[in-house]
Amino acid sequence: MNEPLGLQQQMSAAVSLRGISKLFDDVTAVDNVDLDIADGEFFALLGPSGCGKTTTLRMIAGLELPSAGSLQIFGEEVGSLPPNKRPVNTVFQNYALFPHMSVADNVAFGLRMRKVPKSEISTRVQEAISLVRMTGMEGRRPNQLSGGQQQRVALARALVNRPKVLLLDEPLAALDLKLRQEMQFELKQLQREVGITFVFVTHDQEEALALSDRIGVMNDGRLLQVGTPEEMYDAPVDRFVADFIGRSNFLKGVLESSDVVCLSNGQRINVPVVATVAVGDDVQVSLRPERVMICQLDAAPSGVAKLSGVVDTETFLGNSVVYRVALDWMTIEVETDHRPDVARHAVGEQVDVWWRDDAVAVVKP
Amino acid sequence: MSVGIAEAKRERSERRRGFLLALPSFAYMVLFFAVPLIIVLVYSFATRTSTGSTALSDWNLDAYRKLGEPIVRNVVVRSVILALVTTVICLVVAYPFAWFCAHQRPTIRNLLLIAVMIPFWTNFLVRNYAWRILLSNGGPISSFTEAIGLGETNILFTKTAVVIGLVYAYLPFMILPLYASIDRLDRRLIEAGRDLYGSGSQTFRRIVLPLTMPGVIAGSILVFVPSMGAYVTPELLGGGKETLLGSYIVTQFLTARNWPVGASLSFVLMAVMLVSTIVYFRSGGKNL
Ligand SMILES: Nc1ncnc2c1ncn2[C@@H]1O[C@H](COP(=O)(O)OP(=O)(O)OP(=O)(O)O)[C@@H](O)[C@H]1O
Ligand SMILES: [Mg+2]
Repeated sequence: MNEPLGLQQQMSAAVSLRGISKLFDDVTAVDNVDLDIADGEFFALLGPSGCGKTTTLRMIAGLELPSAGSLQIFGEEVGSLPPNKRPVNTVFQNYALFPHMSVADNVAFGLRMRKVPKSEISTRVQEAISLVRMTGMEGRRPNQLSGGQQQRVALARALVNRPKVLLLDEPLAALDLKLRQEMQFELKQLQREVGITFVFVTHDQEEALALSDRIGVMNDGRLLQVGTPEEMYDAPVDRFVADFIGRSNFLKGVLESSDVVCLSNGQRINVPVVATVAVGDDVQVSLRPERVMICQLDAAPSGVAKLSGVVDTETFLGNSVVYRVALDWMTIEVETDHRPDVARHAVGEQVDVWWRDDAVAVVKP
Repeated sequence: MSVGIAEAKRERSERRRGFLLALPSFAYMVLFFAVPLIIVLVYSFATRTSTGSTALSDWNLDAYRKLGEPIVRNVVVRSVILALVTTVICLVVAYPFAWFCAHQRPTIRNLLLIAVMIPFWTNFLVRNYAWRILLSNGGPISSFTEAIGLGETNILFTKTAVVIGLVYAYLPFMILPLYASIDRLDRRLIEAGRDLYGSGSQTFRRIVLPLTMPGVIAGSILVFVPSMGAYVTPELLGGGKETLLGSYIVTQFLTARNWPVGASLSFVLMAVMLVSTIVYFRSGGKNL
């Protein structure tokens, strides 16, 4: 199942990175990254500040040259092509609109540079401007626009060129929460409409989960894992990924066989079959707070993994309640729905926490 | 209501404080710029007596009529061409240098900018004499070109020598404003231009140049204006062979003793420069 998919992706890869590294003096900004982004895909590159997302994007755009590795766009090696010779366009983090040009001139820039006939330019510019719902503002200068409007112009300026790949570097980071959510929705809609491959850089995991077909998580210049939002959430392979996407409890242990982990308190639990770690290695078991159940002492169903402890704190969050349950060797966070039919537990109460075997993921520590 | 009054009061007191702070420079400008300018203006309407003195009576426009004569016109044209050539050469030399400076690490950048200003530590006259020695027949430059087989260079007392001297003298006035505007240029705009299929030269013409135009124009004004009225350099390096505006005015005052003509020419020169500068700042100031 995995093999043919990989093969198919390789054949229609819009962007393909092989062993790409980038060194600045003695800083390794990007470290040996292998990545295939499929044609028409909405791909998010997610990671904390300074992990090398922007640098990766800039290498695809041609604004930075890789120190090592090979970079292909639709099968063509572009490693040393200048940015103007690549079929990609970028929406920059702070938009980088040309302050001395009107909205229309900003949008027309790329077409003018490529010497597209004048009549075609004006219709395409109009189209792009109406696509981002900026009709009527063609004559304005960027400093006469709000942040959201500037963002749209930046998008139109890139899309008007019909690039094969659109690179977006945290395009929504400068917007306030409400506008950001609105623009997220629009961006996703737009991507479906135009069918262009989007490579989207963000450090906001919710944004990545909500928008993308696939996510790649980076840390310290390395690409740790690539997968669909569900795969990343349900089956992280690395503690960093599990921690970065959503919240999680981490139980230390050793992988005893491919589906049994011996926790550090000596208890054995069953886990989904693990292929990414060798038997006998130290691992951590990632346990999402909302997948752990809490009940009165000894009320857990039989045949499930369970631990006993004392409720340490209880936090009411409106739609949910979060308990911190102290075990004698660690503390576990449990999140329950807040509904009339779900029992509440008081601080100091003796409880059991339990989970189904398939609720956990085994990750590299 | 009372809030409005308090606000108006504060605004007034702030305006008064601003005025007081500006007063010294204001007084300076009146005393050393406006007053002399008015004196020049008054003299330009005066009459030259037959003995060569100036009579402050019989106000007339004779001096201005004289400016239309071919001699004066030739002097003006020659000076304008020379000043233009100087300005263009300064621009072409200074732009890459300013660009280079703006893209260095802070320490190197400061060293380079200090180096630009070092010549100002030496007297202007001395520097002109230094060039006279450098350019003289059999001088260092001539010996050098001879040594490498290009033959002697005899450029002292030519227009070339004057241009060299003027470019040397006014180059810093071009570099500094250019540096300031290039330094202010957001480099991501260049990247955006390249990303949007602009070649290096297209990006320069469509983005870099328009956005650094304030520096180009400010530098050009700062070089063009003093080059127009230059006196010392044309005298020392040009040997006074061709009369330029500066020396023509000096001649009117000292040799020909025709103060009204000297005054009218000075005044027109100043007025043209002032008006064009104001026009520029009024129109171009909006761009950035
Ligand atoms: N031009 C440069 N010179 C030197 N170091 C650089 C340069 N650009 C980036 N770096 C370094 O490379 C690393 C990765 O930077 P990058 O900008 O790719 O991070 P990022 O993931 O985009 O972070 P952020 O979310 O803060 O934008 C950082 O440690 C950064 O300091
Ligand atoms: Mg970044």
